[in-house]
Amino acid sequence: MRGSIPGSATSSHPIIQPRTRRGEVARYLRRSPLAAAGGGIVLVYALTAIAAPFLAPHPPITQFLEDRLGPPSETFPLGLDQLGRDILSRVLYGARLSLVVGLVVVVMSGVLGTTVGVVAGFVGGRVDDILMRVTDIFFAFPALILAMAIAAALGPSLTNTMIAIATVTWPVYARLSRAQALVLRRQEFIEAARAIGLSDARIMVRHLLPNSLSPLIVQASFNMGEAILIAAGLSFIGFGAQPPTPEWGVMVSEGRDYMTTQWWVPTFPALAILTAVTGFNLLGDGLRDLLDPRLRRAV
Amino acid sequence: MRKLMPVLLLLASLLTSPAIGPGLAAPAANTLVYVADISDMISLDPAVAYEFSGVLVAQNVYDTLVAFEGENLTTLKPRLAQSWTIRDAGSAWNVTFKLRPGVKFSTGRPVTAEAVAFSIDRVIGLNKSPAFLFKDVAGLKEGDTRAVDSSTVEVTLPKTASPQAFLSVLTFTVGAVVDPEEAKAHESGGDRGEAWLRNHSAGTGPYMLERWDTESRAVLVANPNYWGTKPKIARVVIQHVPESSTQKFMVESGDADIAANITPEQAREIAGKGNVKVQKGRLLQLVYIGMNAKHPPLDKAKVREAIRSSIDYDGIVRSLLRGEARKVQTIIPEGLFGFNASAPFQANVAKAKALLREAGVPRGFAVDLMVPTGPAPGGVRWADIAAKVQSDLAKAGIKVTIKETAQAQLLNIYRAQKGQMVMILWGPDFPDPDGNATPFSDYGAKSIAWRNAYEDAAAAKLAKQAALEPDSAKRRVLYKQLTDRILHQGPYVILYQPTTRFALRKSVAGFVWNPMAFAEFRTVSK
Amino acid sequence: MSRYVLGRIASTVLVLLGVSVLTFFIAHVVPGDPVLVALGEHAREEQIVAYRRAYGLDRPVPVQYAVYLGRLTRGDLGISIRTRRPVADDLQEFLPATIELSGAAWLVALLLGIPAGILSAVFKDRIFDHLSRLGALIGASFPVFWLGLLLLGAFYYRLRWLPGPGRLDVVISPPPLRTGLLLVDAVLAGDGEALRNALRHLVLPALTLGLFSTAVIARMTRSAMLEVLFQDYIRTARAKGLREGRVVALHALKNAMIPTLTIIGISFGSLLSGAVLTETIFAWPGLGRYATASAISLDFPAVMGVTLVVAVVYTQVNLVVDLIYARLDPRVRYE
Repeated sequence: MRGSIPGSATSSHPIIQPRTRRGEVARYLRRSPLAAAGGGIVLVYALTAIAAPFLAPHPPITQFLEDRLGPPSETFPLGLDQLGRDILSRVLYGARLSLVVGLVVVVMSGVLGTTVGVVAGFVGGRVDDILMRVTDIFFAFPALILAMAIAAALGPSLTNTMIAIATVTWPVYARLSRAQALVLRRQEFIEAARAIGLSDARIMVRHLLPNSLSPLIVQASFNMGEAILIAAGLSFIGFGAQPPTPEWGVMVSEGRDYMTTQWWVPTFPALAILTAVTGFNLLGDGLRDLLDPRLRRAV
Repeated sequence: MRKLMPVLLLLASLLTSPAIGPGLAAPAANTLVYVADISDMISLDPAVAYEFSGVLVAQNVYDTLVAFEGENLTTLKPRLAQSWTIRDAGSAWNVTFKLRPGVKFSTGRPVTAEAVAFSIDRVIGLNKSPAFLFKDVAGLKEGDTRAVDSSTVEVTLPKTASPQAFLSVLTFTVGAVVDPEEAKAHESGGDRGEAWLRNHSAGTGPYMLERWDTESRAVLVANPNYWGTKPKIARVVIQHVPESSTQKFMVESGDADIAANITPEQAREIAGKGNVKVQKGRLLQLVYIGMNAKHPPLDKAKVREAIRSSIDYDGIVRSLLRGEARKVQTIIPEGLFGFNASAPFQANVAKAKALLREAGVPRGFAVDLMVPTGPAPGGVRWADIAAKVQSDLAKAGIKVTIKETAQAQLLNIYRAQKGQMVMILWGPDFPDPDGNATPFSDYGAKSIAWRNAYEDAAAAKLAKQAALEPDSAKRRVLYKQLTDRILHQGPYVILYQPTTRFALRKSVAGFVWNPMAFAEFRTVSK
Repeated sequence: MSRYVLGRIASTVLVLLGVSVLTFFIAHVVPGDPVLVALGEHAREEQIVAYRRAYGLDRPVPVQYAVYLGRLTRGDLGISIRTRRPVADDLQEFLPATIELSGAAWLVALLLGIPAGILSAVFKDRIFDHLSRLGALIGASFPVFWLGLLLLGAFYYRLRWLPGPGRLDVVISPPPLRTGLLLVDAVLAGDGEALRNALRHLVLPALTLGLFSTAVIARMTRSAMLEVLFQDYIRTARAKGLREGRVVALHALKNAMIPTLTIIGISFGSLLSGAVLTETIFAWPGLGRYATASAISLDFPAVMGVTLVVAVVYTQVNLVVDLIYARLDPRVRYE
């Protein structure tokens, strides 16, 4: 249906992969303002998260009880929460937490999903059937419900949240990489590799995978945003991170009673979630446009 | 798109038409709207209901033989029983009740002694959560309650049970008298009518249950056959509103009359407003930390005393709970007979450190503190209290690791004696001091003392004695001895006794909160 | 074609079986003890033992699964440890509310999302397109729980335009129970007041729940439309002189709907998930809240029941969507 995929657009010499990423990045960014904007937001987010301990004016769990629920001011730029903790500091530390959650989820589900998908697509036959059934089973569960069930079973904690979310999001990687593998395995360079006598595993890892990366990278970006949203949602209902962890979802949940009176308490963490997720979605959109205009159709 | 416009306009008009009147739908003068979190309402059958919300409804729809009225938990008042006597029959106690004449169930049938016997036996027979109150506390079996004649009931208690405790138990929903004919008419599969009574009522109370939509609302209407003074408000709607800020808003805007789960912060906000007032309610709960007496170094009495001496109780009550609690450090809560107001502990780092030195752990130690997730009584999160305790103990050199655990798992670990320090709450099942004394003191009762591996034969003996002592003065002395002993020897840090707050519209009067966690709506007017 | 249909149905059954295994597995990894939570602090030892025996919790896990599967075929989902009622009864009570909410949200998503996507594609790169795309992007990134709080805060607390949490005002008596769907029951009973009131209560939660799907559908519709609008046969149609409007309506729309259909099916899943959060905020007595309460209490019969039912519904919807998709798009060939 699709023909060859980009990235191997120069597939006349497929075994030698073009590695001119660095030089082309600038050109890419200019071509797609979406990716640029998204990338910018993500970069700021990541840097903020990493530098949180240096940027935060106060420790995130210290309680200034006399000033509790104070409005934004010079000392406390985003105000204080119901226990007198500085919201700015907590939002910054929360960025670290959500970044970690996102990364772990993306790595776990990406690795798992891609492995399953590549094997299924490349090996085909019975193996493909079985693996796709398993994927379908996981697909049958709406995300939050399955994540909630797992988080409840394992106990409420950030670690278990990550496991739960990864369990929910890996199937998409499987489908994507399988689709790629199905197409690629008929390509000349793969057949050539087989003719030389390379083992299946080697072919999958060394040749199939690198050429399938584009849609996976796009998905990874969306997955990051998705993971942050689901994690916050889980924490909001009490299954994820627990107080006093400065996780954004927890902060919105703890602050919900003050929505109409001391609005800054739930609003700033919520805005943080919105910004981060928007960044990753923008980036994903942009990357999708860049890496394959014909891949504009979602999964 | 153009074709859609008229449809949209129609929809918009539909939605806004009864729109912007004064308040969205203020309840009528003859309906009382009570908003609370009633997600724990599982059943309204008095032999099954054990959760707060179920009890609230049951107490308004059924009557018991005797009752405590309002906040007074020491004087028994007659309800369906006009009078009662306790007789020492040698090998057992005989408690005889004379029933009030002329009382009818909401179904119209008369209340008889047989009905009372049926109701009590039913609780024992169905053996649900509250059954232990009759079976264990009172030592009753089916058949121990007999109808001597149609208006006299006799109950035989074993000598090991306390008649006072039994009478206290009877004031609780388990003692509700149910119409046996009605129950039998709706029986299915030997359940004595339980499936039907789950969401229907057949009692003698001032109200009847009109409907119960799970997780939504319970509606009570006045019972035309009620034997007492008709309730002032004919209809009560108990509406499920889980968010306290929404509850507060509903009362402020007139959509509701009483809100039950107001946080201390919200109470302060209301204090200034014109049309809403705040009312406090006493609770018989105690928030405490249990220390595992077999886990070193908590096995040393001096270490436990050091921990007790490190905590800033006043700070917790004042700052965290905003004064919405009472500092109590003994095992019987205020409001119950035998309350001991002694509260000698307050943060004293020097003393704590000295005690630790004497106990042989001068440099402190590390310990885990397990707390439940979510809010603690008094409107603060468990985690927040834990954080405070953690920082207090750190000053004495004790490093606390907070382990937040879902209640299900926490109970599991605690009951297996595997906790190190556990912060949790305890509420008595019946308004008798023994409901606290025995669990906290008697290792053999396999309750709190057991969970904290605290074996103290002297304390257990005192608790047993006090439970059975018929003379009030002597009983008081025994409880003082017991509570003083546990105060310094026991494995507990009693932190506070919470109060609860209600937001009411200014015009609402006569709302009295019984510390056993319910209110009688028949006295309320607006 | 019918072989394809049969094949899909067969694989659906297999998938559902797998779903039941997975759910069962998750529910039994539980480290805590749900019985303790159900019976409370004061439960005595013998009560716990009796309870366990009554619920079959003392048998080995594979046996429990076999029993469970057997009961499933008879429509018996077990007894909820928390509510002490058959899970099927609980689901029956709470499912209609969620269907009503999800249905309304879905409607919102379709009515807002599809036109927005179409117009966005037609006016590509103009102001409307940019705004719409920005809106859709933000909508797809918006935390549902915060949206609900915002809408409640604005329209209930501040403006008093719309009612607060719950399905019906306190003072209004619900219509007699027929389907459990308040709107339908009110119509059946001819109760105009209840109907109006129920509709008003539905507005905010439906908007909250529907925003994410609206955004996704809008994006999808736009890209599908764009795909189609630039294809050869459209150019041919234009070259032949057909009016722009007809071009769009006849050809583009029909073909653009195909991939959109898939997304519509998938979005239903996100609606079921999002319902959990929306129902929590709006005190909506539906499956989402039931699932949450059950999960917190480790009530695994209930958790299994909800997860299973939701997965089944979701799978069916996807099956239908797939079949329609295959019908419409002759290019579909499955390996």
